[in-house]
Amino acid sequence: MTANILDGIVLGLQFGLLAAGLTLVYGLGGVLNLAYGQMAVVAAITVSLAMDAGLPVVPAVGVGLLVGGVFGLLLDATLLRPVYRLHGEARVLLSLLLTLGVSFIVDGFLNWRYPLKALTLHIGGGAVEILGVPMRRGSLVASAITLVTFAGLFVFFRYTALGRAVRSVIEDEEGARLVGIDPNRMLRLILVLSGVLAALVAVTRSMVSPVDVKSGLSITVFALIVTVVGGLGNVAGALLAGIILGIVNVVAADLIGSYISLIILLGAAAVTILIRPAGLLGVKE
Amino acid sequence: MLEVKGFSAGYQGNDVVHDVAFHVDPGEAVMIIGSNGAGKTTLFQSMCGLLSPSSGKVLFEGDDITGMPAERIARLGMRFVSAQRHLFPRMTVQENLLLGAYPRRLDPETMSVVLDLFPRLAERRRQHAGTMSGGEQQMLAVGRALMSKPRLLVLDEPSTGLAPLLAQAAYKALGVLRERGLTVLVAEQQVPLAMAFSDRGYVLENGFIRLQGTTEELAANPGIRRAYLGVT
Repeated sequence: MTANILDGIVLGLQFGLLAAGLTLVYGLGGVLNLAYGQMAVVAAITVSLAMDAGLPVVPAVGVGLLVGGVFGLLLDATLLRPVYRLHGEARVLLSLLLTLGVSFIVDGFLNWRYPLKALTLHIGGGAVEILGVPMRRGSLVASAITLVTFAGLFVFFRYTALGRAVRSVIEDEEGARLVGIDPNRMLRLILVLSGVLAALVAVTRSMVSPVDVKSGLSITVFALIVTVVGGLGNVAGALLAGIILGIVNVVAADLIGSYISLIILLGAAAVTILIRPAGLLGVKE
Repeated sequence: MLEVKGFSAGYQGNDVVHDVAFHVDPGEAVMIIGSNGAGKTTLFQSMCGLLSPSSGKVLFEGDDITGMPAERIARLGMRFVSAQRHLFPRMTVQENLLLGAYPRRLDPETMSVVLDLFPRLAERRRQHAGTMSGGEQQMLAVGRALMSKPRLLVLDEPSTGLAPLLAQAAYKALGVLRERGLTVLVAEQQVPLAMAFSDRGYVLENGFIRLQGTTEELAANPGIRRAYLGVT
């Protein structure tokens, strides 16, 4: 059981990080980015290509994060422009359609150019024992990176002026404008951050299992589920929901079977939403 | 300091305020009075960049700010305190005040001036803004605007939703700010409150400015006494 819970936490941290980038963009700008998984895959393929070209791991990962950020910036500067002119449901809907289109184009391109490419980062060394359970080193490094990232996000949003400014837009957009904060600039910043987080997801995930050109859709879907369960626009909710769903997934896979575990995961998500429509840490509109 | 000329604005092509002109000189307290639905909120929101005006000009310290987005107008030193307050409900009083000063760093002196003016905010510094009473929220909305050391404070119905005693307290605080030299423009339908505070005023009715004058002149006007001061 301890092993299941630890594995669940490892997976859950992944889920949480997945959802963080998606939930922020939605909470801030009412934009639902269905190309989120493709951002991660593009970053993964970039890292893989950079390493093929002879770059060491760390700089290659740096290039991947940069590409993720640029992907976010490009979305903001081009395709999302018409989206920003709309408000409310129309905005969510148009963002959903346009980014879905982007996801198809990116998937198509990657399948055509790099059909067999995948990113796997091998973390050397044997298993490490935690609470009597042998854990793969890759899982631990991935989890450590995720935890540090969440700590960084927490510090950014709570203790920096820029982070507070971003939160103020989520809280009350008109209020933010009345104190001199430009919501569109905050949204651009968060789209870049979201791209970097997606790239980081790809990197940490590849330490546990390969990220190939077909991973995009499943990354987006898991991110959406965790986002909705955690509460839209809530990073702490994303982390909490991620860990809960991670544990549910691993325990279900162990007790019942891995095929069924996805159904149970979706079931758990559906039940949460029925009980708390705004998500675990969400606030009613 | 502020000059508004031939100003019309409204929603989706239907103007609610028509050809409005008024001005505010440095150091003055000016009121725009009118009943509910006269167009005070539309006038202020489109003047401060939350709505786009359909025609006319707004000059702030000589700069044309007509149709400028609200965030740029706020940065120029003209701060709008909306009747809805638009606080950040799940952020603490302290964080709301810090955001008032954004993007500048915390200025402890301004912070202590604001907290001296509204001691309640000092007591509630760590409390979420959304959990405070209406009066405290109004104090916070004004305090947040003051954190930026504005040159012109524009208030839309600061008495909204406040019990009479609290509304009086809010105006008392504004009076203190005035004495310190802050220029204030206020829209108010509780006319006696605004009159006790302002130097001059304009009467807005159905979107038109019908009357203007010093507070004494307006208070002596029989029409105003009947319509707004409850004197028959």
